[in-house]
Amino acid sequence: MSTTAAPAAGARAVGAPAGHAPMGKLALRVAVRGQRSVAVHQYYQGALRVLRPHYLDESGQVCYVLVNPGGAYLGADLYVLDVEVEADAKLLLTTQSATKIYRTPGSFAEQRMTIRLGEGAQLELAPDQVIAYREASYRQKTHITVRPSSSLVMAEVITPGWSPDGASFRYEELRLRNEIHVEADGVSRLLALDNLLIRPPLNDVTGMGFMEGFSHLGSLVVVDPRVDQALADEIHTITAGHDAYTGISLTGAVAGTMGLVLRSLANSTEELNRLLGACTSLLRHTWHGQEPMNLRKH
Amino acid sequence: MPNTATDSAAAADGYQLALQQLTDSALPTGAFAHSLGFETYIERGLVHDEESFGVWLAAYVGQQLTYSDGLAVRFVYEDVPVAELDARLTALLLPRQLREASIKMGGRLLQIGAEVFPSAGLEQYRGLVAAGRAAGHQPLAFAVVARSLGVPLAEALAAYLFATVTSLTQNAVRAIPLGQNAGQRLLRAASDDVAAAVGRIRHLTPDDFGAVSPGLEVSQMRHERQRARMFMS
Repeated sequence: MSTTAAPAAGARAVGAPAGHAPMGKLALRVAVRGQRSVAVHQYYQGALRVLRPHYLDESGQVCYVLVNPGGAYLGADLYVLDVEVEADAKLLLTTQSATKIYRTPGSFAEQRMTIRLGEGAQLELAPDQVIAYREASYRQKTHITVRPSSSLVMAEVITPGWSPDGASFRYEELRLRNEIHVEADGVSRLLALDNLLIRPPLNDVTGMGFMEGFSHLGSLVVVDPRVDQALADEIHTITAGHDAYTGISLTGAVAGTMGLVLRSLANSTEELNRLLGACTSLLRHTWHGQEPMNLRKH
Repeated sequence: MPNTATDSAAAADGYQLALQQLTDSALPTGAFAHSLGFETYIERGLVHDEESFGVWLAAYVGQQLTYSDGLAVRFVYEDVPVAELDARLTALLLPRQLREASIKMGGRLLQIGAEVFPSAGLEQYRGLVAAGRAAGHQPLAFAVVARSLGVPLAEALAAYLFATVTSLTQNAVRAIPLGQNAGQRLLRAASDDVAAAVGRIRHLTPDDFGAVSPGLEVSQMRHERQRARMFMS
């Protein structure tokens, strides 16, 4: 993997990345053509691109792998992604490797992602874990608009990184904000606002109310008209067999669809990936007749 | 009747007493029925005495009360439309029982407010709830009433946060159980956290609204599946 190109001096200025030219920009629009989903538009610039698409099974779902050739996010870096899955199209979007956030002195790295799903569209968002290293600040803002019949599954893992003295939680701040709207009859209504904030310097983040003595955080957000309490119960049963502290709850219903949010604390990326994988496998099987995700990349 | 020299004092008394009534733990909003997640920690044996409940309470005040309830109150004072704030609160209170607690206590506060502190703002919010266009959340109902009474923001925030802390502490005294004096020591310690939170809420941004730390949230979610429980949340 190549090393990160040195950005212009201005991009390293103290303060928010807003206003600077993004370090990387990517747009992808997927639609149904024949029996398969294909990209009908793609554009990338700077330190973001996608690998050649592939098809992991016979479902027609196209899989794209996001690549950050720089390998890491640095201070004041801004990455902008725009993903649209048109009606009935199916996309699996993952990453080639972990998102690493290095020192961002006096500033923060930011990823802004806009996602639109059409009626009957299916998106699985399964990036590798986010690793925040010493003195890193990172903001990830994801704005999602679904239709009542869309199916969205997003799984995420956050790890505490490490520092030379071996201590974890040496990053400055992590903010991961997902805003999910449902658009029906020309009206867009807010379904879920998932706003995680971890700020180690301010609190004893390892303790009660924060990380509860665990080091890793996993998150699963599902929006689909088939989400109900029975599904939440089934997912609860699956998670019970894992070495993790997990909570599951349902959002209110908006325009006939509903959200399920799972939050899980554990001590390794592997354990959380197993847990989240077991959950997404259940959804793939019962809703889409698909086998468990096998990305064969590790 | 007092002349102009004492009018402002009378006005202050006016909202002072109203604010006391509004934040009295005897106000029948049903706060006695909610642990807002700490019962999960009791079940796990992690909250079991004065000190351990104090740790939970400090985290709750510094996180959820600051970023959700407190910021919601501030936004009402800044003229953000209450319907918009209501939709945001419904969306950001992800643990179902926490969302339902806010709506249940908010509904009671809207009723009581209409009877004892009616105002145009409150009627408008009640109208939105009656029409199904808003859920009716506790911090918003409180802020609408407090603002109509002329309570300054900083005082309204401190009163709201401390009232929540008081009912949670009373619930902990019953549930753990703790002695009454321990409850009073907890309240004294929590008042410093409340003061710090009021100061911090002033500097938060719209992006901060609803920010949570994962542990509180997981525990609030897990309460749904707890078998033996005293509280609805």
